[in-house]
Amino acid sequence: MDLISLKTKSNIPWVEKYRPKSIKEMALPTAKISGHRVNLSDELIDFIKNFFNEIKRINAENKKIRAYNRTAIEKDQKEEIKLAPEKAAILLEGPPGVGKTSIVFALANDLNMQVMETNASDTRTRETLEKKLKETTKSRDIMDFLAQSKEKLILIDEVDGIYGTKDRGAVPTIIDLIQNTQFPIILCANEYKTNLQPLYKKVRRAEIHPLSNEEIRRIINKILKKEKITNLKEKDLNLIINKNNGDLRGIINDLQGISQGSTEKDNTGLILSLKRDSTEEIFSLIRDLFQKVNTLKEARDLTNKSDVDYNFLYKWVNENLPTFIKINEQIANAYENLSLADEIFGQIRRNQYWALLPYFYDLFAGGVVLSMKERPTAKGFRRILFPRYISTGSYSSAEKSFVEKVKKKHEISQIEVIQDLIPFLKLLCGSSRKELKNVSDWLELDAKEKKLLK
Amino acid sequence: MTIELEIPIWRIKYLPKNLDEICGRKNVINRMKDMIKKKNFPHLLFVGVEGIGKTTIAQLFSKEFLGQFFDMNFKIVYANVPLTDDERKQAKAESYVSTSKIGSIAGKKITTPAFVQVKVKPFVQLKVMGEAQFKILVVKNFEALGSNQQGFRRLMEIYGSNCRMILITTKISGIIDPIVSRCQLFLMSQVNYDSFNKLIYIIADNESLEIKDNAIEILYKITDGKISRAIDLLQLCSISSKIIDLNKLYENSQRFQNNLPRSLLLMAFRGDFPKARELSRKIMSSYKYNSHELFNLLLQESSSLPLSRYARIHLINLIADADFRALNGLDNDIQVSTLLSKICLFSEYL
Repeated sequence: MDLISLKTKSNIPWVEKYRPKSIKEMALPTAKISGHRVNLSDELIDFIKNFFNEIKRINAENKKIRAYNRTAIEKDQKEEIKLAPEKAAILLEGPPGVGKTSIVFALANDLNMQVMETNASDTRTRETLEKKLKETTKSRDIMDFLAQSKEKLILIDEVDGIYGTKDRGAVPTIIDLIQNTQFPIILCANEYKTNLQPLYKKVRRAEIHPLSNEEIRRIINKILKKEKITNLKEKDLNLIINKNNGDLRGIINDLQGISQGSTEKDNTGLILSLKRDSTEEIFSLIRDLFQKVNTLKEARDLTNKSDVDYNFLYKWVNENLPTFIKINEQIANAYENLSLADEIFGQIRRNQYWALLPYFYDLFAGGVVLSMKERPTAKGFRRILFPRYISTGSYSSAEKSFVEKVKKKHEISQIEVIQDLIPFLKLLCGSSRKELKNVSDWLELDAKEKKLLK
Repeated sequence: MTIELEIPIWRIKYLPKNLDEICGRKNVINRMKDMIKKKNFPHLLFVGVEGIGKTTIAQLFSKEFLGQFFDMNFKIVYANVPLTDDERKQAKAESYVSTSKIGSIAGKKITTPAFVQVKVKPFVQLKVMGEAQFKILVVKNFEALGSNQQGFRRLMEIYGSNCRMILITTKISGIIDPIVSRCQLFLMSQVNYDSFNKLIYIIADNESLEIKDNAIEILYKITDGKISRAIDLLQLCSISSKIIDLNKLYENSQRFQNNLPRSLLLMAFRGDFPKARELSRKIMSSYKYNSHELFNLLLQESSSLPLSRYARIHLINLIADADFRALNGLDNDIQVSTLLSKICLFSEYL
C-alpha cells in the first residue's frame, strides 16, 4: 500500500497519518548531550555517518588481521579491533510523545535506510533479541552483494520497558549487540531505570525536552487546516495543549477524539473528562463516596470505576473523614477500618502481597463510609480538603539554614536542634528581647530564621 | 577586625574544652587518659541516658587522642537522622557493581544498608591522614539503626585497623550482641552531686548569680543530674533576676517541660476529634516526631494523667495497638488519627 492510498483512508490514527516523513518538516525538540544544547538532527546524522566511516575502517583492518592470523602461529595472533560502544549507540531520553521515535523514522526516510525496530510489545528475552537483531547486525556480507539494498538502522524503542523475568537477559544481550554491531543503534527511553545502568554507561545519552507550546500550536494549526476542522474554540485548544504538558502525540490523539467524536459546539466538558486524576474528579468522588453510597457494592463500583490512583485516594479519605462523620463512635469504627487498610497497604508495598489488594479497597472505601449509620444530608455543602502530607523527614528552608548556622558554631545534629535547642531558645528569647538579640547576633540569623524563635 | 561575640547560649558557652574540664566521672576520664598515653584503644561503646554528655566526652577524647590531626581523621554521624533523597539515590546507584569488574559479583547488586553505604563506608575506607594512629568515627544513637547494625559487624573487623569507632547509645538493649562483643563498654551514670555542685558554683560566679546550696540540690533533682538541662534552667531563671531561689526554679521548670503531648491527650479525652487531630499534626510537624516518638511521649504522659487504674491500662493498650499498627502501615497520620479517635470514643464511657 503506498502513501497516497494510506492518506485518503480516514480511519487511520492521525498520529500515524501526520508522522513526519522527513526531518525537514519536523519540529525538532530541544536536545542536550552532557548538559550542552545540540541540534538533534545534525547530531544524529553525524552519528550515523561517523558510524559507517568508522565501521568501514575497522572492517578493513580486521580483514587484514584475519588474513595475518591465518598465516601466523597461535601465540602471534592478533585480536580483532572493535568499535567504541559510544560510537555505536546513542540513547534518546525524554518524556512520552515528544518525537523520539518519529525523528528516527524521519531520519531513516531521509537517508534511505531501513529501520529494524523492537519495542516493548515484543518479548525481549535473550533468544528473541538474538534471533531478531543479532544475525542482521553481525553479517553484512550477503547484503554487500545486493547493490540496491538499503543500509539498516536499529531502533530499540522503549528500553525502559525491559522488565522482570519476561525480558530476562535482555540488557546483557543489548550490550553485546552494541559491541558487535555492523549498523548504528538508536535506543529510546522515557525514564531512568537502575537496572539499565550497565547499559547507560556504555552509550552516548541525549536528553530530549518537550516542544514549546508555540511550536505545538503551529503543528496543530496545520493539522486543523488539513482536516478542515473549524468547530474547535481557541479556549478548548489551549486546554488540550496545557493538559498534555508537551506530549504532542497525546495532543493529536485528543484532537482526533474530540473532532471526530462530537459535533457539539461546547467541548470543554469532553476535554475535561479526558483529563486524568483531575482534582474535580476526586472532589466529586469523595462527595459521592460519603454522601451517596449505601451498600458495599456501590462503594466498590465507585472506586473501581474511577481513574484516581488508589495510592492517593485513601489519603483523601483520611483527610475528609471528619468532615462527613461527626459521631465519635462512628469515627472510631471508620478509623479502625482505615488503619487496617493502611497496614495492609504497607504489606503490599513492602512485600508485594498484591493478593491483599481487594481487602485494601473494601476497607478504605466501603469500610469507612459504611461506618456511618445514616447518610449525611446531601443538602449542606461541605468543603473537600486536600490531603496534607506530614513528612517527619522534611525541613523547611528556614529550619535547614538555622541548623547549618548552629552547626558552624557547635557540632550538633539536625534532630537535636529541632527537638531540643529550638524549644529552649523559644522560651529564652520569648521572655527577653535582649537574649533574642544576643542569640541572633551570635548565630547571624536573618529575619526568616528569627521567626523560628518566636 | 571582628569582635568575638560572647556565646549567648550557656550550655554551649560552658561546654568543657578538654578532658580535665569535664565535670565528675573521674573513673571514665582516667581510663581514657591511659588510652591516650598508650596511643591505642579498641572500639568503644558509650551507654547512658540522654543529655549527660556522652557525645561531648567522645569528642574531647578524640580531640586529645588525635591532636593536630583531629579535623582530618574525625567524623561524627547521626544514625537517627533520615537520609536525604539525594543520598538515597546515591546509595542505590552505588549498589550496582559494574559488569566490567572481575569476579563473581560483577553486574550484581550489593545489599549494603544505605546508611552504611553513604555515610560510613566512604570514611572508614579512606586512609589515615597525617601521622595519626587511626581515624575515629563516632556514631550517635546507634540503636536507631535497628537491623542495619549487622552491616557494622564485618566493617568493624575489616577496617578496624584503619578506623576505630565510638558507638553512642541510650539503650544497650537495642544493640545486637555481636556489636557489644566487639566493643569496650563505658557505662555513664549521672554526675555525682559534689562535682555538679562545684560546676554550678563556677557558672554562678561567672554570671554573677546568687544561688544557695539547697537550690542547687533541687536543681540536681529536677534535672536528674543532667548538666545541659540544669544550665538551660539556670539561664532561663537568670533573665528576670540574678537571685535564684526555689520558687523560681519550680516555676521555670514547669515552663520547661514540653506539655503539648499532655494537652493532646486531654483534648482527646474531651472527645473533640477534629481539634485533637489538628494538634497532633502541629506537634509532629514542628518537632519532626515520627509516629513512634509521638506514641512514646503519649505513653509517658499517660502515667501522670488523673485516670482510674482501669482507664490507664486501657489507654496504654490503645497506644500500644496504634504503635504496633504503625510498624506495618505507611501513613503516620492515619495511625495517629486512629489512636485519637479511639481515645475520643473511650472518653464517652468514662
